Amino acid sequence: MILLQLLINGLVTGCALGVVAISFSLVYSTIKIFHVAHAGVYTLAGYIAWSLSTRGVPSLLAFAGAIAFCALVGAGIQQFLYRQLERRRASHLVVLIASLGMLAVIQNLIAGIYTPNILQFQIGWSQTTLRVAGVLLSYTQLLTVAMGIAAYLGMMFFAHRTALGKRIRAVASNPFLADITRLEPKRVYVIVIAIASAVVALPGVLVPLDFGLQPYSGVNALLTATIAMIAGGIGSISGAFFLAIGIAVVQNLSLLVIPGEWSIGVTFFIFVIFMLFRPTGLFTAR
Amino acid sequence: MDFWYTYIVLAEIYVLLGLSTNLLVGIVGIFSVSQAAVFGVGAYIVAAATMNDTLSFVPALLIASACGLALNVLVTLPSLRVSGDYFVVTSFGIQLLATAIFTNWTEGTGGANGLPGIPPPDIFGLAVTETRQFLVLSSVLLSLGCLAFWLAMRAPYGRLLRAIREDELAVAAAGKNILFAKVSAAALAGAFAGSAGGLYGSFLSFVDPSSFDLDASILLLTMVVVGGARTLTGSIIGPFVLLALPQLLALVDIPTTIAAASRQLIYGVLLIAFMLFRPQGLAGEKL
Repeated sequence: MILLQLLINGLVTGCALGVVAISFSLVYSTIKIFHVAHAGVYTLAGYIAWSLSTRGVPSLLAFAGAIAFCALVGAGIQQFLYRQLERRRASHLVVLIASLGMLAVIQNLIAGIYTPNILQFQIGWSQTTLRVAGVLLSYTQLLTVAMGIAAYLGMMFFAHRTALGKRIRAVASNPFLADITRLEPKRVYVIVIAIASAVVALPGVLVPLDFGLQPYSGVNALLTATIAMIAGGIGSISGAFFLAIGIAVVQNLSLLVIPGEWSIGVTFFIFVIFMLFRPTGLFTAR
Repeated sequence: MDFWYTYIVLAEIYVLLGLSTNLLVGIVGIFSVSQAAVFGVGAYIVAAATMNDTLSFVPALLIASACGLALNVLVTLPSLRVSGDYFVVTSFGIQLLATAIFTNWTEGTGGANGLPGIPPPDIFGLAVTETRQFLVLSSVLLSLGCLAFWLAMRAPYGRLLRAIREDELAVAAAGKNILFAKVSAAALAGAFAGSAGGLYGSFLSFVDPSSFDLDASILLLTMVVVGGARTLTGSIIGPFVLLALPQLLALVDIPTTIAAASRQLIYGVLLIAFMLFRPQGLAGEKL
């Protein structure tokens, strides 16, 4: 029974991480920036939602507020940081360092305002549990799975069926050509990062309902997500999403034999295996 | 007076560490946030070896630096084979993994409480107990480090590393082995960081995981960025400036609960500001 419970927990965590992975992958494959500050945006979402809901805002509205705020922050990072750096012809390394600086700024602003300690985040319904076939499931977990699947399907539909999605893919595959055909890559970049930040805010508000809020927890989530993105094949939405679920399941099942504080080791081990034997990932985009 | 000596010794240790980061990030252009992990491995090795009288300081320091070297080779070899961004993930992973080991492997590292009571170094029977004496030791080691750095950068090898950052493809076309050059630079950086760690542990006579976490790696990167990438002067200025910062902050009345966060916040702001407005730092070359 414990096996089944761990499997379910892994699936739930995986759905949340999968959404982090597809949003990161969207930025990485379009703007080609290793957007480390994404971890900060992810953490920020939970804190904004917490602030709003403790001030009496209804939970759905609080979530929407957090998502909108994150989209704005993301767009701001692109407009006032990455774009300025690009205008100065900054190297890839410089952009990475600036992004890391941004991550430090966001995380420590949060730690300064809300204290570095763990904060419990609960809403009326969030701890209600159901028992299905002997497995304990909270509403939060059910909602996380539903959100994960919806975000994955939504992203697939958006990328392949809508005009904006096609435009983004065009910019991603050839920014120069996109520029001369008036697809305006610079505007697309702002839109992409805003969308990615809004999407990452979804797990950003749901995961803390289960695990609480911590200012520095985003890095761990982002690390697993980037590993999933690489293992799934860069550029592949499905690859990133399903590998994130796979990694989270393995991580949870490993709890049977390895204590929880070493789970980072398990994740990293998976990455090393991929790096050695299949560095291009499982579902490489053509 | 001892206050100043302590400041200078710590700054000198960080300069040694800064040289290692500068070699990796500034000269070869490999982004790394795992230098603090290597630093920590060096510190814990020297601590463990000298505390049980298994080894005296000098061989322990040599082992620490060899382990730093080996660790960096192990980390860079598989990831750099693929691409630079894989190494970003690897270095984040190694840093978080190292923090997990330092914090959770209680028998070896003392866990979150750290290892107190590391004996002062003795150099072939000569005990270095006072801060003043330690200043001499760290200055000598730092001079050796600076000399090695300077010589390596003057040599054809240094030019090869610089060339790789400028145009990897051209260097490859000229028949140079890029992977070997990068991995060997990382190895050198690892050896520097490992020995700096050993020095750090035996100077403070205490090590704990908080000195070697991701925040410490960010601090190191800030030192290199503020001082200036790629130059010896830059690597020396950075640590002296950044280590003075907490002293200045102590003058401002900040609640202790958020003191660490506000320090890190300033490092983040510095990283962004320097990347935007002065990528060459105070005394470096363009990154």
